[in-house]
Amino acid sequence: MRTITLGTAILGAICGMLGSFAVLRKQSLLGDAISHAALPGIAIAFLIMGAKDTNILLIGALISGLIGTFWIKGITTKTHLKSDTALGLTLSLFFGFGMLLLTFIQKQPNANQAGLDTYLFGQAATLLEKDVWLMAIVAGICLIILLVFWKEFKILLFDADYTKTLGFNTRFIDILITTFIVITIVLGLQTVGVILMSAMLLAPAAAARQWTNSLGIMVILAAIFGAFSGVVGTGISASQSNLPTGPVIVLVAASIVLISFIFSPSRGLLFRQIRFMKNRNSIKMQKTLAFMYGIAKNHENIAHPHAIKILNGFQGFSKRSLQELVDLNYVEINGQQWSMTQKGYNTAENLYDQQVKDTHE
Amino acid sequence: MNSAQITIQIIVALVAVACAIPGTFLVLRKMSLISDAISHSILLGIVIGFFIVGDTSSPLLIVLAAFAGIVTVFLVEFIQKTGLVKEDTAIGLVFPALFSIGVILIAKNANDVHLDIDSVMVGDLSLAPFDPLLINCTEGIADSCINLGPKAIWVIGTILVITLVLLFAFFKELKVSTFDAGLAAALGFSPVIMHYGLMTVSSITIVGAFDAVGPILVVALMIAPAATAYLFTKDLKKMLVLACFFGVFSAISGYWLAHLLDASISGSMTTVLAILFLLVYEPIITSIVIGLATTTSVIFYQYYQQLLTETGFAQFALSEKISRVFAEFVLLDYVTIMLVGGVCAVLLIYILPKRGVIYGYYKVRQQKTEIMLLVFLLHIRNHTEESERHVKHLNEHINWQRLRSDSVVELALKNNMITVDNDIISLTEKGEEFTEKAIDYIITNKDTEIEEMKDDFFLFRG
Repeated sequence: MRTITLGTAILGAICGMLGSFAVLRKQSLLGDAISHAALPGIAIAFLIMGAKDTNILLIGALISGLIGTFWIKGITTKTHLKSDTALGLTLSLFFGFGMLLLTFIQKQPNANQAGLDTYLFGQAATLLEKDVWLMAIVAGICLIILLVFWKEFKILLFDADYTKTLGFNTRFIDILITTFIVITIVLGLQTVGVILMSAMLLAPAAAARQWTNSLGIMVILAAIFGAFSGVVGTGISASQSNLPTGPVIVLVAASIVLISFIFSPSRGLLFRQIRFMKNRNSIKMQKTLAFMYGIAKNHENIAHPHAIKILNGFQGFSKRSLQELVDLNYVEINGQQWSMTQKGYNTAENLYDQQVKDTHE
Repeated sequence: MNSAQITIQIIVALVAVACAIPGTFLVLRKMSLISDAISHSILLGIVIGFFIVGDTSSPLLIVLAAFAGIVTVFLVEFIQKTGLVKEDTAIGLVFPALFSIGVILIAKNANDVHLDIDSVMVGDLSLAPFDPLLINCTEGIADSCINLGPKAIWVIGTILVITLVLLFAFFKELKVSTFDAGLAAALGFSPVIMHYGLMTVSSITIVGAFDAVGPILVVALMIAPAATAYLFTKDLKKMLVLACFFGVFSAISGYWLAHLLDASISGSMTTVLAILFLLVYEPIITSIVIGLATTTSVIFYQYYQQLLTETGFAQFALSEKISRVFAEFVLLDYVTIMLVGGVCAVLLIYILPKRGVIYGYYKVRQQKTEIMLLVFLLHIRNHTEESERHVKHLNEHINWQRLRSDSVVELALKNNMITVDNDIISLTEKGEEFTEKAIDYIITNKDTEIEEMKDDFFLFRG
């Protein structure tokens, strides 16, 4: 139990870190494609070695995942097919070929293939201590590489052409980061399975993106979110019988994304809606003020009272906007009459000038 | 061929055509991955439908599954519209979440439910011919039903007919909205209706094909034929026809490959699709690989049959069998395999001049020379002083090797672009004019400028 929790936590953390790069590079679905593309590698490794040794299967998966990645790159650069088609092709064709091999293996006598299926849906329960060690080592290497090449990764992410002109070997950096993404995906296959691996990579990063605009903070946050969903997901699935770990982890990660979408202070939907309403109210108020100014400037005395009734039917006027004007001391109300103050008059005058200036510019 | 085999082939061919048509539009609209998302999230629809009806063959399941597909599309659009994440991220977030819910629902109720993820995810065709559609059944009386033939044919046939009718009815609208969404909207075709119409058809098709080939292979059947056809042609009608053709071809040959290997039909269909795509995308390497693989497997099969007669061989584990068979190979076999590969390579390099390696190398060299000539002419044009135009000076100024600058000068002379007088180079009238045009092109970077120049370019190659 402790092994599994630790394993999913480490996995979530690496996924979050590298997922940030995948998301920002607009390669979100690369994870989906590669996790599917790993299947034929697993099957071929099994066919050749005949053993169910995890490491050998993982190496097979890694090789076929890398081939898949380069295939995607090749298709998008050499032909007019777009990246979504390239991803879809790799995903489905590799997976189909893997299926063919798997069914072929199953038909063989003495083929001890039980357990190959776990790579389809993942089974965190099969995590052994040495698997966790492997994950920890990979996570450590990842972290070191990230720190060493931080500057290069960052600049490549945001301005690839500039990086090239500075003399960095963009191809090398690109291959380095893609390779690490593939390694992470392959490691995660055993735990969460082919189909859900893409969400593991995406969700923490997408959630972290909502809270910050800084790459460093985003990577750290994504790692935390990933580890958190790993731990909580494992906990929930262990608390009840018949609850598969992979899907629960993904659902936890998805809930984090949902919360981030709604409650993030700068980008979140909730605060955006609040800001939107605030802006609308202030525009309403300004419109009312401008309308009042239009009436008041025709009179010698700007404080000349007018009936509130004449404002009715004017778009932008509401009791609330009138009240706000009174609160700001722009307008005074006397019974059913309103009159403008000097302060309100000046503000409205400038407001109008401002508008004229804006339209002329 | 018995009747069951024919039935399966009819089913796979129908599935292939039904998938290829919406697939073509998805590929053109850059939405290929939506099909992947839909094919996964319909699992949730199927599971919920199953809990409501308690029967895997109810038509309600299909309706709910298709509805789940549309909900996926809607959710993806919604998340995308908030602008918080990019479209592909939205897809990647939605379908795993829906799929997870489906898997959890199945796992929680696995004990009393006859619904197994493996069977849902893989799809099986071999039993399809024995699941007939029966109507007019009278309760309690055996054999009172009218047998209308396999149900799968009816389901997928209906979907195909609907798709075809919609395709013919709205071909013009689909075409416009695919290639120029703005124009389509301006002409009054609601983009929302077109989008969701296409999505509904795709969703229903995926659900219909899902039973037969499983979700991921549906994606293959939708995208791969269309992508292969797209590499061949840029005409929508031709692309549709070609996509259907590739789909049917891979379906039928995939069936026979599966028959030969005794493996899953859907897996081998996809493999054929992959080979087809690779043949178009990378003809030389693919043909060589296929040539090598086929020869190897033919020789392998012969030794395998020989070894099978020995006692005890059949009981070996698979990997041991493989190593045993390869141990039987003699040098001659390897030589044969290499020869086949070599012949394939040589033939293809000559058969496919436009894509061949040699031609490609030649073309790159030609282009290099063209660029060099252009640089040279521009250099001459920019300098009036004699010292800059001396033949020897080129070597140091443009940093070229002596041989290379000699060949460039020679080429320019051949095309009457320059004259050489006492080792001083000057542009001819024709050279002036050409350089002028080249500068125009470099500055404006407009395609129209280069159109006229193309003829001139061919001149240098002479």
